[in-house]
Amino acid sequence: MWLVLCSAQDISGLWAFQGLQLRGLRPIELVTAEMLPYSLKWEHTLGASDPSISVTLLDGRVIKSGAVRGVLNRLTHVPLQHLAGAPDYDYAVQEYTAFFMSWLFALPKPVINRADAQGLCGAWRHISEWVWLAGRAGLPTAHYRQRSTDQIDETVEMRKLHPFGTLTVGVVVVGERVIGPSFSPEILAGCLRLAELSKTALLGIEFAASASENGWTFAGATPMPELRIGGEPLLNALAEELYQSS
Amino acid sequence: MVRKALDGLGERYLLLNQRQFSIMSMTLEIAGGRSMGHLQVNSDSYPLEKFTAVFTRLMDYRFLPELKDQPESSPQRQLCRNLLDTLNRWAEVAPARVVNRAAPMGSNFSKPFQAQLIRRFGFEVPETLITNDPELVKVFRARHQRIIYKSISGVRSIVQTFNDGDMDRLESIRWCPTQFQAFIDGTNVRVHTVGQKVFATAISTDATDYRYAHRQGGNPAELKAVELSDDLAEMCVKLSAGLGLALAGIDLKITKDNRVYCFEVNPSPAFSYYEANTGQPIALAVAGYLAGE
Repeated sequence: MWLVLCSAQDISGLWAFQGLQLRGLRPIELVTAEMLPYSLKWEHTLGASDPSISVTLLDGRVIKSGAVRGVLNRLTHVPLQHLAGAPDYDYAVQEYTAFFMSWLFALPKPVINRADAQGLCGAWRHISEWVWLAGRAGLPTAHYRQRSTDQIDETVEMRKLHPFGTLTVGVVVVGERVIGPSFSPEILAGCLRLAELSKTALLGIEFAASASENGWTFAGATPMPELRIGGEPLLNALAEELYQSS
Repeated sequence: MVRKALDGLGERYLLLNQRQFSIMSMTLEIAGGRSMGHLQVNSDSYPLEKFTAVFTRLMDYRFLPELKDQPESSPQRQLCRNLLDTLNRWAEVAPARVVNRAAPMGSNFSKPFQAQLIRRFGFEVPETLITNDPELVKVFRARHQRIIYKSISGVRSIVQTFNDGDMDRLESIRWCPTQFQAFIDGTNVRVHTVGQKVFATAISTDATDYRYAHRQGGNPAELKAVELSDDLAEMCVKLSAGLGLALAGIDLKITKDNRVYCFEVNPSPAFSYYEANTGQPIALAVAGYLAGE
């Protein structure tokens, strides 16, 4: 089977699930983040044998890693609202998150995106690290500056490379393909290189219009891109990656 | 200890005491894949490009004596938070030897996740079950006879033997999957790797978790420097390097039939405890690594 893991509010993930199903990836199961904490039975093992995961969902479905042929993974966190207020809530959040990191990592390839120590569906990086990587990938970047005297509280507000409201356009890298508006070959090569450097198979990259040589400047990247901007070509690419690599 | 070792080597360094954040400021700039900027301490300014190595051992700023009674929104807290954040951001991208960068330290957040990485480097890992089903635990215990339980994350990470008394509260795991492991009988060995250097310490204890020997009713652990085989030492170096860690504390258990189990790799090891008990020159090795050895 193929597996799509996403939040019930993740319109992109739900859209991809429908599109992959239409492209013949069957059986394909949709498992939402919201249902996972209510699972009746978890069995995650490791040791001398390859790691495995078996989960029995509340609706009776059983997902076993041995039967999985490919995964679209868009889990960002473990929703634990049902435990809110419990004395050990903070501990439970840590434990569940660490557990999810492990069982997601144990899923057989291809997993797009694979769990990472910095995020359940790939590494979440600070914008300073993204702009550094983008520069190393050969993409045109703005000059990033961060001062300890900046009046910003990053616990509530994310830093951005461009002012809020700046018009950006996005592409999505899937494996070896860049899907989205037409860019120069240099930028397309830079996008592929950034996905490679960041070890992110499915990577959304944003650009802002600028006066640079290429007319565009790197504005940000994410392992959780809005997929619908890629339309049918993106679904085709995802289906190919999940099918051919399995 | 690292500072003393750097002094002994005659190396120049800048010591930042995070409690003195009010006399520091920092600017980080990134352009074309390169980082630059400067660090200001009182009236002295240091270009970031001049630093060839960084050793970080920062604590959570919220617990600093200067800040612990202040509200989260206080200007002092914000100043300290932003300074440490800028320092940390720089450490992630600086073209310097950093002991250790934050990103690779993340694997230690989830022990079974890290165990999956450890396996790839040729170490055995204990048979492990994570479940919310009491029946599976009973079967696992029957198969392995003696089992332990411990946290999955790095929080409350104390290893406990699962005994008959625990059966009464086993139902509570339905609330949160819990990690169980087959107990491995053998000698605890803590291996510190510093770049290519390896320091192995054998620990004699009758406690399940030697770090908490007193709490678990045992005698204090006894530590002794030991030599690893060349092959095992090389495996340890490759494991640390593979995880992206310049300094690591690797917890091994070596059985009587010479099987080597690895429990975890600590990316911020308290090597001073081992050095104080054995005289192994770990801090000197850290200083040497920072100096470019």
